[in-house]
Amino acid sequence: MSTVTSSTRAPTSSAAAAPAKPLRKAGQRQQKLAAFTLLAPFTVLLVAVFLVPVGYAIGLSFFSEDHDGLGFGGGETVFTGLRSYLAVLSDPSFVSGFGAILLYCVIFVPAVVVGALALALLLDSGLMRLRRTAQMLLYLPHAVPGVIAAVIWLYLYTPGLSPVIKLFAQADITIDFLGLHTVLPSIVNIALWSGLGYNMVIFYAALQALPREVIEAARIDGAGGFRTALMVKVPIIRGSVVMVCMFALIGALQLFTEPMLMNQATPMVNSRFTPNMYIFDAAFRRNNYGLASAASVILLVVTCALSYAVTRWAGRRERSAR
Amino acid sequence: MRWTGRAGAALLTIFAMLLAGCSAGDSSDTAGSGPVHITFWSALRGSQEVVDEYNRTHTKIKVDFEQVPSGDQGGWAKLSNAARAGNAPDVATIEYPQLPGYAIDGVPRDITKMLPDSVRRKIMPQAMDLTTFEGRTYALPVDIEPMVFLYRKDLFTKHGIPVPKTWAEFESSARKLKKADPRSRIASLFTTGGTLHMAGYSWQAGARWYDTTGETWRVSMDDAPTRKVATYWQRLLDDDLVRVEPSSSQQWRAHLQSGETAGWLAGAWAAGSMMASTPGGKGKWAIAPFPQWDLKKPSLGTQGGSTFMVTKDSNHPKEALEFISWMVTSPDALKAKLSSGISSAYPTVPELVPVARKEMDTSYYSGQDIFSLFEKEAKLINPRWKWGPRMVSTISSGDDGLARAGAGSGSILDALREAQRKTMPDLKSLGLSVTER
Repeated sequence: MSTVTSSTRAPTSSAAAAPAKPLRKAGQRQQKLAAFTLLAPFTVLLVAVFLVPVGYAIGLSFFSEDHDGLGFGGGETVFTGLRSYLAVLSDPSFVSGFGAILLYCVIFVPAVVVGALALALLLDSGLMRLRRTAQMLLYLPHAVPGVIAAVIWLYLYTPGLSPVIKLFAQADITIDFLGLHTVLPSIVNIALWSGLGYNMVIFYAALQALPREVIEAARIDGAGGFRTALMVKVPIIRGSVVMVCMFALIGALQLFTEPMLMNQATPMVNSRFTPNMYIFDAAFRRNNYGLASAASVILLVVTCALSYAVTRWAGRRERSAR
Repeated sequence: MRWTGRAGAALLTIFAMLLAGCSAGDSSDTAGSGPVHITFWSALRGSQEVVDEYNRTHTKIKVDFEQVPSGDQGGWAKLSNAARAGNAPDVATIEYPQLPGYAIDGVPRDITKMLPDSVRRKIMPQAMDLTTFEGRTYALPVDIEPMVFLYRKDLFTKHGIPVPKTWAEFESSARKLKKADPRSRIASLFTTGGTLHMAGYSWQAGARWYDTTGETWRVSMDDAPTRKVATYWQRLLDDDLVRVEPSSSQQWRAHLQSGETAGWLAGAWAAGSMMASTPGGKGKWAIAPFPQWDLKKPSLGTQGGSTFMVTKDSNHPKEALEFISWMVTSPDALKAKLSSGISSAYPTVPELVPVARKEMDTSYYSGQDIFSLFEKEAKLINPRWKWGPRMVSTISSGDDGLARAGAGSGSILDALREAQRKTMPDLKSLGLSVTER
């Protein structure tokens, strides 16, 4: 994507290079200024909403309110070292949050990749009528903010309110979307609903960029539409597949909105259901900012490590494939 | 260039707004003469009426009241955040279980030395014990709620079922009721709100979830009395003798109204709540003493009840304490509160009980003298109980487990044990001295 912008800029810079020295110097200065100006908003935001909060969280995680005995003598904020980290790691509810995420990933990641890929291939193959309309309709759920989406689905899940449950009930089928074993699939369903169209667009864009001659060659070799899709198109857009997987993984680790709203509706989603919810609960329900910060730092490290691992793994596969 | 300038200006504006947001709400001190203004936050119904009455009859202190959401609806977080930002109100309302947590966080002021003996003596010692830790008093309790059994007298009579005096009788009555009418259940096992009920039952049986002897929190949510209680309720649950539902939920209320649930085990406040929410039950309901484990050694726990604290942030602690002493001990305050609607909250000040009795129209309970019953029961409240340092989250963890137990995964005892397991890391990270028994 960045190559597009630099190539459009190229003619202007070569034009600026032609005149005499002083002018070139001025041009360089101007260019520097432009670069600085363009980078400034990003840098300011990066520092203000990422680096500073991360630094603050790391600081908070090492300093914590400390008490004596029963704790009624009043506490003071002191350096407590790794105490908050040890407490988080010994908390079964923090660890079980990662368990919930893992289970969520096992259902969500394959479903979203296969689903979005299938839709994109269908669109690309031209089998689908009204391609533009279909594309827009599929993308539309992504435009709905996550909270709103969760509220809509919650309405459809709640017994007594939901027309869906009523419909099933008329056919003598009792269905509980918020039960012990159904609640996670219900969350995955919301995420799929809003994520499918978005990821489909990514795959579709990648498919559009495929060299047509390769497809043609496959057809001449006698491959049918299905075979072409599976054996030719998918391997070529593997990069996009890896990217979608990684985004889904990171998104899963950050899972918050949907389960947080479900928490209001069913006790099967507890207030520490995911690591992010654990952090929220520690900070605002338990007023334990040291614990919340330590959990945040751990989550950040896990997310970074996982992203790195996925890119490394994908990179190695890419290289060995070549 | 112009653009960056403008963007910079916009960013600055945003920062300025954020900073302003942080420092907003400073309490303005009224310098010089005129009445002292104190602020008061409460979610309790009738608080506005109480404040109006106070302002009408007092000139030196004026109270500015703000209705806040109830604790679980955001009231607890609101108070914690305000205290953290240094702009808590002068007086705040908090329930008993949450008080120790706030005291450890330094929100309430230690009022031990400021509190006149004349006020302290008026309040039931069992109630004062619940707001006093290591000899330091952190709040004045306004009501204490001995647990009672509300039941459908008409249905019990119709099916010839005796009103249970003991837990053994309670179980046999539950079986008889279900046999007489298979759709009917004697009471509910609550999921949401259930941990507080389990606490009340365990309290009665002699449990001590938090023992503070020896300057250490000795935590045990599965001690022998609790195990007895949990096993008992597990049997009621397994034999489908109680209805499983969240407390104060729509479905629970509907079952009470239809008579499918024929009883309610709750604090004394429930009498008034029932009258307000189930007007159709007039003449059908009655209130019995809570079932006992041993009639020779009667004992009781509580469920519900609130306290008033003077905050550490308060610039006028003396005036604030004067106001809360008035709210707790004055008959005028109680009358003003009752003028806002029906309430059967049991006052912590015994000399106010006749006032409450006089104001209460008990025709709903066929004229039963319910306050005499509460008075007798309140004396049985077991004085050994203490709440723990992080009850908001302990309770919600317990409730999650109870919901799973209700759905057939895990047991009631598992739920309580898990609540304890999920609480310990929190307490340890605060540096508190804690052990598990």
